[in-house]
Amino acid sequence: MKPVLEIIDLKMVYHVGKVDVHALRGVSLSVAAGEYLAIMGPSGCGKSTFLHVVGGMLQPTSGQVIIDGEDLTAMRDSDRTDLRRRKIGFVFQRFNLFPTLTADGNLKLAERIYSNGSNGGDPKRRLEVLKLLGLEEKIHHKPLELSGGEQQRVAIARAIINRPAILLADEPTGNLDSENSQIVLEMLRGLNNEFGQTIIMITHNPEAAAKADRVIEMRDGHVVS
Amino acid sequence: MDSLIAANLRQRPLRTAISVIGVALGVVLVVLTVGLARGMTRDAAQRQGNVNAELRMYPPGNISISSNPLMLRSRYADAILNGVKPTAEDPDLQPKPPIPGVIATTPVGEWIQSSGAVGLGFELIDGIDYESFVKTSQLNIVKGRGLRDGRTPDSEYEAIIDRFYAANTMQEDGKPVDVGSKIKVLSHELTIVGIYEPSQLARVKIPLATLQQLLGGVNNCTFVMIRVEKPEMTDGVLKTLKQTYPGYNFIRTSELPELFSQSSKPVEVFLDVVIGLSLVISTLVILLAMYTTIIERTREIGILKSLGASRPFIVGVIEKEAAVISALGVGVGFVASVIGKYGIEAATRLRIDLIPRWLLISAAIGVLGGVVGALYPAMRAANLDPLEALSYE
Repeated sequence: MKPVLEIIDLKMVYHVGKVDVHALRGVSLSVAAGEYLAIMGPSGCGKSTFLHVVGGMLQPTSGQVIIDGEDLTAMRDSDRTDLRRRKIGFVFQRFNLFPTLTADGNLKLAERIYSNGSNGGDPKRRLEVLKLLGLEEKIHHKPLELSGGEQQRVAIARAIINRPAILLADEPTGNLDSENSQIVLEMLRGLNNEFGQTIIMITHNPEAAAKADRVIEMRDGHVVS
Repeated sequence: MDSLIAANLRQRPLRTAISVIGVALGVVLVVLTVGLARGMTRDAAQRQGNVNAELRMYPPGNISISSNPLMLRSRYADAILNGVKPTAEDPDLQPKPPIPGVIATTPVGEWIQSSGAVGLGFELIDGIDYESFVKTSQLNIVKGRGLRDGRTPDSEYEAIIDRFYAANTMQEDGKPVDVGSKIKVLSHELTIVGIYEPSQLARVKIPLATLQQLLGGVNNCTFVMIRVEKPEMTDGVLKTLKQTYPGYNFIRTSELPELFSQSSKPVEVFLDVVIGLSLVISTLVILLAMYTTIIERTREIGILKSLGASRPFIVGVIEKEAAVISALGVGVGFVASVIGKYGIEAATRLRIDLIPRWLLISAAIGVLGGVVGALYPAMRAANLDPLEALSYE
């Protein structure tokens, strides 16, 4: 299957004072469209840096990141932002929902950003996505009125509302109890199975990783398996 | 309204309210200051022109329409009407013929006195020769009586006031002044003997002889009002007056409003300063409000960036929020200005004009200040690093 993401010899060096910290030391990877990939590894192994580079929020020191045929590393900051808007959906450990907006409002905002503010989105589509994630009853609830699991499901709904090529999930169950973790993991699995959503998930949790099609392990900035 | 903007405004109601009040303050400052300056000038010009005399004679040299000491001989009023010949007391007097077409003249003395808080700190007082004044004006006594000549002890310290002054000037007991009340002119207590209408020249009139005595300008006045037989004869009379009294200044009464607005040029400079201040206030209020909100919402801006929001989108969100605050401030400012106008007019003798053009200008200043003030915080937000913003606590 055609890869939706190709990473070639990706390196990232942070300059902390006079010390160079090598977060990524030549990572190469290919992710097929519709694949569900889990990345595991200890803290500080470069998983988050990897995800942020793939998400276009960090410019790597060298190497190439090609998403759907577009070379992210050759782009200006504004073009990377544009690519992120069109092709990437983010799910964070801390949910990162807008506390002042309802579940529907959070999705609507993502739609507006996707259209660059030119339209107010599609209410039917939002309801459909929220239903898919079992949140149709919570459509007018604000984040503080939702449980952690529900908030994370709203965050997933927001991430997929614009049909991204890749869904990047950074420890999506890190802030959830085991019951809610299971629900969220099942939802992600369901999205991948039913809609062929490409997912790259970072996790410390072997049970979460076990839901993925493929698991890779990182250590000291390298992919080790 | 954009739901994110509406939610942000509702999230911090106190901050929103303070920002709105800040912008409103700038609007009120412009609307009321300009309205006050315009209202007072218009009112004064209107009263100056509200007479039957078509012309005025002023002494030679530069004149100020709004304030002159007693520099013109009062006898010119009689000379213009009846002519003048050398007399035994004044054999050097140059003979002058009566001016054809003039049917009435009257000398008027004007004095500006401090009047405390009401009346913008000053008040115009007319010294008139009542008998001749009524022939050049539409003055009509509606209560009490007219003035006497002020040359006898019992007629010396009396005054007449217009209806507006009577209705808007309170005595110590809180009641409006009336016939029989006392008012202070040049540190002397004068008794109100009559109330007149319509308003013309100063609202308070006292005998010219009294004003001359109090100011030490015996037999002098500020100007002479000249009434011609028919309005169409004004040009001819004016020409004859200029020929007969070369060097003296003659002004058409109809030109007074324009001359008043010219004499208020320093006020225009003051108004420009007020407008500038208002713009600065609006800009600073919004700048501070939006700057603090950006700091407060750093993490949210990080989320916007992670969702792929472009720099123009983020700038747009913040600018729209500032524009909404400014628009609310403009609305509140308009309402406060209207309340302020009626409150001030009810409590004082000040006149405030709400001029549509200036309402628009103040609105533009409020919104412009808001948009400019939000620009720096908006640019700062747009340039935030998404990862740093997301990790902001």
